[in-house]
Amino acid sequence: MTLKSRLSQLQAQAGATPTGVPSVQPQVAASLQNRLGHLRPERLQGRTTSPQNKLSVEALAQAVKGEVISEGLIRIEACLPLNGELGIRSLNGLRDIPLLPGETEVIPGVYIDTETTGLSGGSGTLAFLAGMAVIEASHLKLTQWLITCFAAESALLCALEQAIPASHRLISYNGKSYDAPLLLTRFRLLGLPTSVGTREHLDLLHPVRRLFSKRWDDCRLVTLERQLLGFERKDDLPGSEAPEAWFSYLRHGNARQLIRVVEHNRQDILSLAVAHATLAEAIADPLRHKADLYGLARWLSEVNEPKALALLQSHQDRLCADSSRLLAHLFRRTERWMAAVPIWEALAKQGCVESIERLAKYHEHISKDLQVAWQYCAQLPGSTADRHRQKRLQEKLKKKTAC
Amino acid sequence: MSTPAPYFPDSNPDPVEALATQLRSRYAGRITGELVVPAKSGCYAPFPETLDARLVQALKGRGIGQLYTHQASSWASVQSGQHTVIVTPTASGKTLSYNLPVLQAALQRKAKALYMFPTKALAQDQVAELLELNQAGGLGVRAFTFDGDTPGDARKAVRTKGDIVVTNPDMLHQGILPHHTKWAQFFEGLEYVVIDEMHTYRGVFGSHVANVIRRLRRICRFYGSDPLFILCSATIANPAELATHLIGETVNAITESGAPQGAKHLLLWNPPVVNPDLGIRASARSQTTRIARLAVQQGLKSIIFAQSRLMVEVLTKYLKDKFDKDPRRPPRVAAYRGGYLPTERRAMEKKLREGGIDCVIATSALELGVDIGALDVCVLNGYPGTIAGTWQRLGRAGRRQRTALGVLVASSLPLDQYIIRNPEFFLGASPEQARIDPDQLLILLDHIRCAAFELPFRQGEPFGEEDLAEMLAYLEESGILHREGDQWHWMADSYPANSVSLRSVAEGNFVVVDATEGKQTVIAEVDFSSAPMTIYEGAIYMIQSAPYQVERLDWEGRKAFVTRTRADYYTDAIDYTRLKILEHFVERTAHTAAVAHGEVHLVRRIAGYKKIRYYTHENVGYGNINLPDQEMHTTAIWWQVDPTQLESRFASRQQALDGFLGASYAMHHVAAMQMLSEVADIGRAVGDGNARWFATVGSNGRGTLRDEEGKALDPFALPQFTPTLFLYDNYPGGIGLSEPLFARQQAIVAHAYRLVSACECEHGCPSCIGPILASDEVRGYSPKQTALGVLSLLADHDT
Repeated sequence: MTLKSRLSQLQAQAGATPTGVPSVQPQVAASLQNRLGHLRPERLQGRTTSPQNKLSVEALAQAVKGEVISEGLIRIEACLPLNGELGIRSLNGLRDIPLLPGETEVIPGVYIDTETTGLSGGSGTLAFLAGMAVIEASHLKLTQWLITCFAAESALLCALEQAIPASHRLISYNGKSYDAPLLLTRFRLLGLPTSVGTREHLDLLHPVRRLFSKRWDDCRLVTLERQLLGFERKDDLPGSEAPEAWFSYLRHGNARQLIRVVEHNRQDILSLAVAHATLAEAIADPLRHKADLYGLARWLSEVNEPKALALLQSHQDRLCADSSRLLAHLFRRTERWMAAVPIWEALAKQGCVESIERLAKYHEHISKDLQVAWQYCAQLPGSTADRHRQKRLQEKLKKKTAC
Repeated sequence: MSTPAPYFPDSNPDPVEALATQLRSRYAGRITGELVVPAKSGCYAPFPETLDARLVQALKGRGIGQLYTHQASSWASVQSGQHTVIVTPTASGKTLSYNLPVLQAALQRKAKALYMFPTKALAQDQVAELLELNQAGGLGVRAFTFDGDTPGDARKAVRTKGDIVVTNPDMLHQGILPHHTKWAQFFEGLEYVVIDEMHTYRGVFGSHVANVIRRLRRICRFYGSDPLFILCSATIANPAELATHLIGETVNAITESGAPQGAKHLLLWNPPVVNPDLGIRASARSQTTRIARLAVQQGLKSIIFAQSRLMVEVLTKYLKDKFDKDPRRPPRVAAYRGGYLPTERRAMEKKLREGGIDCVIATSALELGVDIGALDVCVLNGYPGTIAGTWQRLGRAGRRQRTALGVLVASSLPLDQYIIRNPEFFLGASPEQARIDPDQLLILLDHIRCAAFELPFRQGEPFGEEDLAEMLAYLEESGILHREGDQWHWMADSYPANSVSLRSVAEGNFVVVDATEGKQTVIAEVDFSSAPMTIYEGAIYMIQSAPYQVERLDWEGRKAFVTRTRADYYTDAIDYTRLKILEHFVERTAHTAAVAHGEVHLVRRIAGYKKIRYYTHENVGYGNINLPDQEMHTTAIWWQVDPTQLESRFASRQQALDGFLGASYAMHHVAAMQMLSEVADIGRAVGDGNARWFATVGSNGRGTLRDEEGKALDPFALPQFTPTLFLYDNYPGGIGLSEPLFARQQAIVAHAYRLVSACECEHGCPSCIGPILASDEVRGYSPKQTALGVLSLLADHDT
């Protein structure tokens, strides 16, 4: 028995799932294919691609409106005028994107997104398509690189590395945890230098989560497009099908799906850029964009407390309990007790333990009204710290009555 | 049998000696053998001149002024650039043997080291010890564990800052190698790889680990490093050979320990016969508790090893009832086994080290090098299954200056009874060989997939002993790899290491889902090959001795749905295994019998199951099982008897058949003992060798012939009757067990004959030919005698 047939037999006996390695012997498979061919000739033709209908690299480049710049590497360039539109948003917004909370100066960025051979990570996954966009005077300049063989990966990475201006940061959607580490792995594996690991990197997924995770079912880019940019993609190839699309071109020269991946990636980058501008708008006017006020206020409070305070104060009549508590917290930090106490009192009525504790502390240490402090303290659930406080208050009260 | 050491009660107040003497005089009839290993003084060597002054300082800070000779020899071996394996007993300071060169390299050259331990607990111990030495000398060497418990935010620091990274094979396989680029710095500077507890890497697990090491060395080559391997092992017969197979290069073995040792007494103990008719002995448990009680009463620190978690709990209860009656006092008796939380275990180890516990009852979880301090007495409740394992456990008792006592209490299982009745075999035998087969096709294929994911394969690159180009072509054809020029690239949307378990050959594990009261909790995993025998619908599946009943088995979806039950029975699958001989590799024919080694095709049908009540072991019902037949190609050895000899020896074919079944039971257990393997690693079967019929023990206790469909056949009606006894490698493709089995075929038959003939039962029992149900009167002949008849025919060949 040949090594090959022994292997396939053993794998089947060891419980390998039929979707993995074919568990039939190759000879059998061949005859099975023949028999299928007799039964359903048309279907078989579609599956096996003869050399003639294998799409050449040049033809593929043409199909995606790109050019072959070196062996196995296609570059696709496009310019989108800033007077155009995407969904309900105008690209004009990209001209001067306001700073996001925590940002102190304007840093230009490249919008970047990759399509990879797998979603599980690890050193065996590579980016077969990388796309980026920069904002120029009157247009958004988009560049994509697509490889058609493994050997061209080095050229892709070098081209990408060179194309990112030194002064620019990376802007991505989930790129901090996905695209950047993956690219870094591939640069290292191929022994190429890169700045991907050291550049500043704005991952828009995180601010989007802060503002919208409670509002939307999920924070995927397509959801963002529907909710924030006001459009839905038509005939989009889901990102999860990208690996198979590339494999299919490598195996059979079948480029139909791969062409759609290029379009998908282009769409991703465009949405990413517009999402950046829209997000900045949403921060300036959260209610209009149905953003989560509390999420925004918390974010602001981490980087700029006065701004957070101002935001909450300007919406004080419509705050949720969390936001109210945050507002009281900010008042307390600036010792504006008269503003904080009524909020705590309102929350205490709804049974908010934290607020009851705050009131107990306030009356014990600030207003020095021990009776009231005791009333609040007695409502506390009785953790060790609570009991400690209760005991101390009792002693203070005793001393006071003794005087 | 060794002569007892001279004993002078007045001049020697040693309490352990006193206990040994007491046991010998009071229970002489139960002690079948004994051994006294005299005390040995230490052999020392000065610190090597090249040892860094900072290290000398650190050692002195911990009260160490010189080395044992084995530490000095391993230093010399490692410094001369040889891969080195150190084989020394428990508590002989082996960790220093590898810590010294590693620390020296870290101090002087900022060299990195990777430590690999089989378990997480051992890894944590090791880091604690390194930290102590580090502190004593202010060395500033950073050692971290990296395993499943390492929090995500700490991982980066371990990768970039660790001088010594301590991990386990599974983590290396799934967490480190597939992400090697993140470890680039570490691999570039990697100079030493330390593999402790090497003896645990045998069989399937060892074969996988050898491939993980192949992958590790391949990644190191990529980063331009070529680390030296330092391995440590408990005593096995072939440490240098195992080490060489594991790392794929010659390894220098250091086997002489320089550590001092107190004297050791070992008693082999057989429980007394309580029912001579049925050959039933008192339980090992009752004897173990008796010995442990005496030891604790005399103020001796004791450890008991039991074979199962359940037995640990039972023994603990019995001893606690005796010694921990007063709840106000700190407990003197404690259990230690798998399944406890790590923090509980750490606390228990600390108490043991500090001497707060008088008696600990443990499973093999304590067998590995977890430091629990010195103990006086070790009782083994049942034979651990291997000679090496027995000595490892016995090694738990023993102090440098004082005598230690070990008692091996036999259970009624065949192995135990064989060992206990043939003390000279056990006491004189060298420990078993540890075997691995890194080129087992399926295991190798798995790791070629993993390796291809880590780095593309280049033409002509070495990996394993099989034809790599053909293996790669196979993976290319199945669409997982893509060939481009002279390279094979990974081309699948998956992470192959996640689907490769280092502990099995088969793929597609089943998960056991607890569906009690509408829950959906995964509570266990069962590997593919044992699934048909354990999780069929109706089966009682035990988890931590809690019974669950399998309600539904989703074969395609690889899921078994179970619910909690209070059944007072357990279930035992009835399997019909047919073997067909495909190819003879070697054959030896003699006067009465022939024995052969070759390839077989096995078809196993799980036809039904028996319900067996606890304690009484009576059969309380049957159930049907509807599962697809399991097929397997593997290797086997088999024996056949000349038909005329068979006819003349036995009055009937039925008797011959019973003889074959009884002989196969004894030979199966003896073979497992000879091979340092689990009984389940080897399968046994009796059939005709053409898969036309096979034999099983029927519900009446007699051999029954069945055809392919499982229908009963009459042996008299067969035109030809050539029973064939098979012992086969129970893994798809085999993991290299059958060849050494063939090499030991004579010993297997001879030892099986002695096991059966020396058994004190009348007509057969679970200790020799397997349980017999039908009484002798009904049968009219002794099943034990028929088994001996077959064994003597088999033994006759080649003389």
